Amino acid sequence: MRSSLRHTRRVVARYGHARTPCSHLQSRAAAAGQPATQPPPAQTITARIQTRSLSISPSRSSSVNPEEISHFNALASSWWDPLGPSRVLHQMNPLRHDFIRQCQNSSATSSFAPGQKLRYLDVGCGGGIFAESAARLPTTESVTAIDPSTEILAVARRHAARDPALSTTLTYLNKTIDDLPLPTTSATQEDTTTTTTTTRFDVVSLFEVIEHVDNPSAFLDRCGQFVKPGGWLILSTIARTWTSWFTTNLVAEDIIGMVPKGTHDWNKYINEHELREFFRGRPEWWGAPQVFGVVYVPGLGWKEVKGSEKVGNYFFGVQRIQ
Amino acid sequence: MDAVVRARTAAYICRSCTRRFQLQRRQQRTFASASAAKPDIYDVVCVGGGPAGLSLLTALRSSPVTSHLRIALVEAQDLAKIRSWKLPPDRFSNRCSSLTPSSAQFLDTIGAWDHLKRERVQAYHEMQVWDGVTDARIEFDWAPGTAPSAGTTIAYMTENLNLTSGLLSRLEELGGVSVFDSARVERISFGEETEELDLSEWPVVQLAGGKQLYARLLVGADGANSPVRSFAGIEAKGWDYDRHGVVATLELEGEGWGGDQMKIAYQRFLPTGPVAMLPMPGNYSTLVWSTTPENASLLKSLSAKDFTAMVNAAFRLSPTDLQFMHTQESGQAEEVSWRLEQTPFSRQAVPQTVTGVQEGTIASFPLKMRHADTYIGERVALVGDAAHTIHPLAGQGLNQGQGDVQSLAKTIEYAVSHGQDLGSRMSLEPYLSERYAANHVLLGVCDKLHKVYSVGSGPLVPLRSLGLNAVNALGPLKSFLMNQAAGNGIKVF
Repeated sequence: MRSSLRHTRRVVARYGHARTPCSHLQSRAAAAGQPATQPPPAQTITARIQTRSLSISPSRSSSVNPEEISHFNALASSWWDPLGPSRVLHQMNPLRHDFIRQCQNSSATSSFAPGQKLRYLDVGCGGGIFAESAARLPTTESVTAIDPSTEILAVARRHAARDPALSTTLTYLNKTIDDLPLPTTSATQEDTTTTTTTTRFDVVSLFEVIEHVDNPSAFLDRCGQFVKPGGWLILSTIARTWTSWFTTNLVAEDIIGMVPKGTHDWNKYINEHELREFFRGRPEWWGAPQVFGVVYVPGLGWKEVKGSEKVGNYFFGVQRIQ
Repeated sequence: MDAVVRARTAAYICRSCTRRFQLQRRQQRTFASASAAKPDIYDVVCVGGGPAGLSLLTALRSSPVTSHLRIALVEAQDLAKIRSWKLPPDRFSNRCSSLTPSSAQFLDTIGAWDHLKRERVQAYHEMQVWDGVTDARIEFDWAPGTAPSAGTTIAYMTENLNLTSGLLSRLEELGGVSVFDSARVERISFGEETEELDLSEWPVVQLAGGKQLYARLLVGADGANSPVRSFAGIEAKGWDYDRHGVVATLELEGEGWGGDQMKIAYQRFLPTGPVAMLPMPGNYSTLVWSTTPENASLLKSLSAKDFTAMVNAAFRLSPTDLQFMHTQESGQAEEVSWRLEQTPFSRQAVPQTVTGVQEGTIASFPLKMRHADTYIGERVALVGDAAHTIHPLAGQGLNQGQGDVQSLAKTIEYAVSHGQDLGSRMSLEPYLSERYAANHVLLGVCDKLHKVYSVGSGPLVPLRSLGLNAVNALGPLKSFLMNQAAGNGIKVF
């Protein structure tokens, strides 16, 4: 079964038949709750990195998978059609802000003083749904949004040109996190040779990204270095369960066609406990995580459902303590 | 020449290709005028400074979430005149509206309620509704146990000018709105695309004199013939009732049967349409008489004495008598006085006798039912009469507008706090889904009520008197109608 799924997504990626950007649909049936069966084998992230990195060129490649890039290139044109295939992503976007606020409110310490504006780094920004919205918030100083796909970034830039309010706050860079110069330890030492400042960020976001990355462990470590002490690393992804396989791969992609074929590689899904384990292993850097499970209810959109992080889509946030 | 060429090419080229041509043409034009001034960009441009438009802007300005938005108001009238509107305490404007407690609550939330001349606002606590043909009656007082307390307010009667003047006063206190009044909208078009900025989907309101306002969101609060709605290509469907609403400010023999603390609204369904008398402060009431255009023009031509007599007759005499008197050019006062002697009626079941009508307050306007196909488009939202026009028989027109505004303001607030582009259709969708169905049901109910009761004879008449009596007996349905009047929302549907 797995090999055939993988085969499908390779073919689609090559010929660009895909119709929607990445999104993971959890149906009401899923919420109603078959038990969250863990499909065998429950690998740790590290174990999976080791097995997978055999087939991928290891140099500078915590994030970029060429197949994934070509898949999303094919989706570029429909990214901003609100009635089009990326509707579910547009609908999810407000919840991302709710979750970030929940994270920031959960902690007594923060990277910014009250009234001070925030700096965001959005990794794997795609067409810029989150990046634009973050840049529009009155509490935002700047948003740096990066994506390795040239085509999608062209769409993002063209779309951002439609809103004059974004020109001063939003910067797109066609880079991977590996290409982005590491931040200097002191905020005063800015690298003036690149287009971006290399001070750290209050929020580093990886929305629906980690499941498309080959080497999640190295990727998270790299992204974490861009977070200010007191700032937050925020991500959203989907649990690797039978339910998520059923809803995202079989129903959403193969049966309804709501999400383009080849968007998801279920083998790359990462479970919430695996992420917890990962950050627990770096206690000198990261605090206790905040988690927020969400379910897509047809006709109503995305809703927070306690405990659903074990089953399907979830948000995950950790604060950098030093 | 240009048009001919375009028409010809269009015949040979598919739509998307012609669109591309047009885009190129537009770009050329842009480069030619590249030296033009920087566009004047607003987050919200509201066309129309009536109750709906002013409430929306007040709501946006008074909320900490949206108070930073750049807002413009475009209005054809001179707003300074409305702002300084003042009448002596014994004079009332003829255009009044019934504000439900939820509308009043909303106005209070946005800080406008205190800016109304409150001594000119009249609460009422009871409604008397009956059928002019059969005399079947609904008494709209609160059933025992359902009312929060005795004398609970059903609604507040307010002069429209008192409301707009109060809103302007509150808006002035809040500040921060660019007001373009006494302004004529010359045209509404789209912006242009340059290399850095693509405003080709942004509405641009061009005022007479050349001022151009770019709108992230263009709000049509510009009435039943909304130019904003036409610009957005949204159709409004419906029909004319072939009826006019005759309004006037009436002086009565007293404060009403219930005194100052228990004011009553009256409505009688005549075959020509409902006639309503709604209490204003003191001995005053406001009249809304829906009738045929011919009757309306006759009523407007009568002397004050004959007009007053006709209003008294409308609540007391039989439809046949009334019909006859509408054929007389004058002398109604004498006709009414002797006919009343022959007609048995319970004095306290009808409003107190009207003793006079204030000079210059008799006017009329045509009644229609309209509902726009949608309230939103890309960077466009419609509120109030631009979105819907309702028969006045339930006094819901203004309240529907307030409901729209409350919902739209909430929708904009959510968009702003989540970084959405507040003008995008996606951001506006919650407003549409919250208001469209609710308004549609209410439009339909009022339309049906008008139609059922606009018949003088035939099979509908006994049926409807049965209906009205049955309504009076049926607790749940009656409380639905009551709650509707009081703006507690549609619970039955």
